[in-house]
Amino acid sequence: MSGDWVVWQVAVGAVFILSLLLLAIGLILERAWRRRAEVLLGERLRFETLLSEQVATFSRISTADVDREIHRALRRIADLLAVDWGNLTEYSDDSRTARVTHWWVADGVGPQPEAIGFEEIPWVVTRLRRGELVRFSRIEELPEGDATVDRETYRRLGVKSQVAVPLTVEGAVVGALAFSTVGTERAWRDEFVQRLHLLGDVFAHTLSRRRSEMEGQRLRQDLAHVGRVSTMGELTASLAHELNQPLTAILSNAQAAQRLLVSDKADLAEIREILGDIVEDDKRAGEVIHRLRGFLKKSNTELAALDIGELVGQVARLVSSDAIIRNVAIRLDLAPGLPPVCGDRVQLLQVILNLLMNGLDAMRESGEVERTLVLRTESGGPAIVVVAVEDSGVGIDEADLDHVFHAFYTTKPDGLGMGLAIARSIVEAHGGHLEARNNPAGGATFSFTLPVIKGTP
Amino acid sequence: MTAASAPLVFVVDDDASVRKSLGRLIKTAGYEAEGFASVGEFLARRPYDGPCCLVLDVRMPGLTGLDLQEALRAAGQRLSIVFITGYRDVPVSVKAMKGGAVDFLTKPVDEAVLLAAIRQAVARTQADRRQLARLIEVQARIKTLTPREAGVFALVVTGMLNKQIGAALGIGEKTVKVHRARVMEKMRAGSLAELVRLAGEASVIAAGS
Repeated sequence: MSGDWVVWQVAVGAVFILSLLLLAIGLILERAWRRRAEVLLGERLRFETLLSEQVATFSRISTADVDREIHRALRRIADLLAVDWGNLTEYSDDSRTARVTHWWVADGVGPQPEAIGFEEIPWVVTRLRRGELVRFSRIEELPEGDATVDRETYRRLGVKSQVAVPLTVEGAVVGALAFSTVGTERAWRDEFVQRLHLLGDVFAHTLSRRRSEMEGQRLRQDLAHVGRVSTMGELTASLAHELNQPLTAILSNAQAAQRLLVSDKADLAEIREILGDIVEDDKRAGEVIHRLRGFLKKSNTELAALDIGELVGQVARLVSSDAIIRNVAIRLDLAPGLPPVCGDRVQLLQVILNLLMNGLDAMRESGEVERTLVLRTESGGPAIVVVAVEDSGVGIDEADLDHVFHAFYTTKPDGLGMGLAIARSIVEAHGGHLEARNNPAGGATFSFTLPVIKGTP
Repeated sequence: MTAASAPLVFVVDDDASVRKSLGRLIKTAGYEAEGFASVGEFLARRPYDGPCCLVLDVRMPGLTGLDLQEALRAAGQRLSIVFITGYRDVPVSVKAMKGGAVDFLTKPVDEAVLLAAIRQAVARTQADRRQLARLIEVQARIKTLTPREAGVFALVVTGMLNKQIGAALGIGEKTVKVHRARVMEKMRAGSLAELVRLAGEASVIAAGS
């Protein structure tokens, strides 16, 4: 009996100890689970925070900052998730290659390929282009047979795991956002993958917005170019004159030198002086052409700090011959020490030239004996400069004042009606305003404002 | 050709290097040259009596070449003009030629064309001035005539006989003869034909002034 009791004692003790052990293990496991849950929760929270930050950032980003912000976002996500590669690829128009437009690579990891052919990852691309996501924790998860080529490619690149979401704009897949590990395999959690879709949409929207903005800008540049060409057409007579003057001097100088050489009074010093003058006049002719080409070149917008008075002076020189032909005196009234503005040189020259030519045209119809055109620059407030073109012409019909800036609106018999519309769009793209008003004493004034560069007085 | 007798060519052009190069070329052909940057600058110069001509740009800031042509004519100055211009402007060239310009040349101007025009212009200035001097002289002679002599002069040159003149003026034929001799003397005419020619020149003055 006592033996049984002992056995009971032992059994109860063992059960008790076992229970304690199980309890301890349970407690330990529970704590581990909770800690893991906490870690997961923390990670998820950080990811959510990051996502909402990105959405906020990209919703108010300017076109110029897009690349930098996407790169920064890739780095932060890759850091958070401890992955090796993060990249944004754009599918080419012929749908043959995926070009990597933005990428991030962890320290100590080899570089990513700059582009990857669709034929190298046919299975993955097919799924992405259908709008589906691709996720694998090990290469072996890619289906054998269908994805054999893909497997080979990833093995060659050293990719062990990847998650990729398609970028869609208005239903069309334009690229993909992908994160990969190179050294190790890893699992991708559902919640993370789902959230990645959201980020992909944000990127896709941002990139498409930038593309349409750039197309708009290119359209504006094309239009501006057309405007410059037509303005130049009006200036042809005076430009011919500007070229004619140095050509006249060159011819006379050269013929004078020839005459001196055949005569017996050839003076070497004089010949040398003549040759020097010929060189100078040739340069002068070259400058006329250079100025013309500089003005007519079809260029992308190049922003620089500009002295507005200098621009006004340059335009005044450009039309000086034309003004003489038209018997108009151009007066410059430039405020000294104006702060620089930020803008595209050629485009702003175009605006000033356009207003100036309009002023000259307006005076053609006026019977005024005193034909004066005033070009004025002045301060328009703490951070604004004003450029005004004041003519003594016929002025603007009150009924026309509202329409002069509309496209295809013109009062000139041979006008296109685009000049002022283009000028206004350029000024507004520079953050300024262009307006017209009649002068109390007759004639009209066109003036525009430009913001000065921040930080200058 | 010595420096003293070298004709003087005035070059009026607002472009400094055109002015300088034209002056240089003109000098190689044996002329003297003087440059002016504007019409105003040229008008401020003392008029030159010697052989000369004007090479004149049409378009300039302020007064134009045509304005100068007009001003010279208004002032009765005989100075032949060779216009040079950067524009082939037909109405302007017609106006310039009607105003008595020797030529209207388009820039760039070839030396042969320019120098030929200058030679012609210098000669025309000289001829015009000689004619003017002659007219002034004839007019001065006419002014020495008494009213009666002037009346006889006017009728003699129409080919009327002394008798007819006497009848027309209500004086005797003998008196007409005396006046006629005085007219011949004062007008320094050796013959009736010469007197008629002088009268013709004088009527040019009358029409021109």
